Amino acid sequence: MAEANKNKIKTSIPEKIFTVFNYAFFVALCLAMLYPFWHVLMLSFSSLEASLKGGIFLYPKGFNLDTYQSVFKNPQVYSGFGVSILVTILGTVLGTLLTAMVAFPLSKSRLRGGKVLMVLVLFTMIFSAGMIPSFLVVQGLGLLNNILALVLPGLVSAYNAIIMKSFFLSIPESLEESARIDGANDLRIFFSIILPLSKATIATIALFNAVGYWNDYFSAVLYIRDTNLWPLQMVLRFMLTNTQQAMQQAGVNVIAQTNTNAETIKAGTIIVSTIPILCVYPFVQKYFVKGVMIGGVKG
Amino acid sequence: MATQTKTVKPAYEMTYWERLGKEVVRDKYLYLLLLPGFLILIVFRYIPILGNVIAFMDFNPYDMAKSTWVGFDHFVDLLTRPQFLNVFKNTLVISILKMVCGFPVPIILALMMNEMRNLKFKKVSQTILYLPHFISWVVLSGLIMNMLNPDTGVLTGIVSAMVGERVQVLSDPRYFVQMLVISDVYKGMGWGTVVYFAALSGVDPQLYEAASIDGARKWKQLIHITLPAITPTIVIMLILSCNNIVNAGFDQIFMLYSALVYDVADIIDTYVYRIGIGRSDYSFSTAAGMFKSIIAFVMILIVNTVAKKTGNEGIW
Repeated sequence: MAEANKNKIKTSIPEKIFTVFNYAFFVALCLAMLYPFWHVLMLSFSSLEASLKGGIFLYPKGFNLDTYQSVFKNPQVYSGFGVSILVTILGTVLGTLLTAMVAFPLSKSRLRGGKVLMVLVLFTMIFSAGMIPSFLVVQGLGLLNNILALVLPGLVSAYNAIIMKSFFLSIPESLEESARIDGANDLRIFFSIILPLSKATIATIALFNAVGYWNDYFSAVLYIRDTNLWPLQMVLRFMLTNTQQAMQQAGVNVIAQTNTNAETIKAGTIIVSTIPILCVYPFVQKYFVKGVMIGGVKG
Repeated sequence: MATQTKTVKPAYEMTYWERLGKEVVRDKYLYLLLLPGFLILIVFRYIPILGNVIAFMDFNPYDMAKSTWVGFDHFVDLLTRPQFLNVFKNTLVISILKMVCGFPVPIILALMMNEMRNLKFKKVSQTILYLPHFISWVVLSGLIMNMLNPDTGVLTGIVSAMVGERVQVLSDPRYFVQMLVISDVYKGMGWGTVVYFAALSGVDPQLYEAASIDGARKWKQLIHITLPAITPTIVIMLILSCNNIVNAGFDQIFMLYSALVYDVADIIDTYVYRIGIGRSDYSFSTAAGMFKSIIAFVMILIVNTVAKKTGNEGIW
């Protein structure tokens, strides 16, 4: 559409003004979007005195890397990374697989009871069980202080199941039929034909799952007391909301001679925990956009 | 081989149960595929849904036998407690403000970006604008706390200058909700444009060509071609956004609020957390949670019906 509109009529003055304004507006907006990240980054490079006095806007004052030395001395940052990576991988792989395994049979109209089962899946999406009963079930299963409590409850997403189901419906039945004639059973058909054919859809859903698991902190608030099992988001949360205590646990004496204080350490931890997302994000962004298209307006 | 007469009944002679059994056996692997997912759903969704019965009990977590049925007592208690009524009001106020302020922004941004002819610039802006959607509320609230730090925050000075007094936004009930709304718009506005781009890319370029040959300027094209093209999307997004009427944004508020702003920022979910997990008053907090789930459930049924009635695709 952009190309088709190469104006045959000369652009009028107001249109030119608008174009200039438009670009200027988005430059400003993008800078404003990024500025909070930039400011925290600059703060993390600044010295203790500068960070206390304020006045850091565009560049660090008293540049040093002491903050990162302190951040990387904090054992919770390492365990947090470990737990977050483990939970994200487990949750993404299992969650995407189980959701696909639920979606495939439900896409078969011949399946007895399929309609009822579909309603059962849907119902989990429209009626939320609530925080307390969910907590009591996880507690009752003895999963408190267990990483599985961060993974299992959210594995099957009704919403993603619907998206996958409608994708599976679009795969021509004839492909399955020919495999069946060759003696393949439904398991074989699912794993060797359907899954490879749905790579793009599955990858997109996996990405959304991964972001969800990586960013989740509330499951850890509910289920994990043991600070060694905290995911990264939870470590950062504790640092932001219980600064004093967190700094002590991290082995940082706030009034020590080091060139850091609570604010710069928070800034450093924010940066360290955001860098992985920032590194991956520009390359996978287009798949997220595709994902919204798959789900229609439901994204 | 040929003489071996296996008595296989033709399908039309089978009883209902025989046919059912045969089909279930035929599809056994499909049921096998369903099994693990359904186990998860049963354990972590359906049992908790049934667990909501403790809202009608005085639940004793240490000794089930000591739990007694109390009927609707907790619900009556809930709806007569001024504290809960305030929490309910906060939930509605915050979610409606977020909706009213957050809804038009992506539409305007998408329309403006749609006028960009420099595709590279457009791509880069989109990438930047989508970014906060993928950043957790933990990190974003870290950024917000930093920007609004009472002593050194960059925004503290600006806001103070605007209102003419020194303010601490994060602990001031007068400004806390505005902060919630603005930061929510910040997080979601870029990503919100995606659905509108999808609608815009479906517009036939020939329409613009024809219009410009007929002498229609950009503004006229916007009113007569672009807007009508995305109106269905706007309508369905508007309908769907009503779903969130009782979801004021737990992850965000739970990170940012404090006792100083409970009056305006305490929502149903944070209230349930504090009463349920904080004070272990399981029955009462479950009743509060169930109150919310039921409203959300009714809303989603209404929304889906309205969406379908207006000729749109529903949620299911």
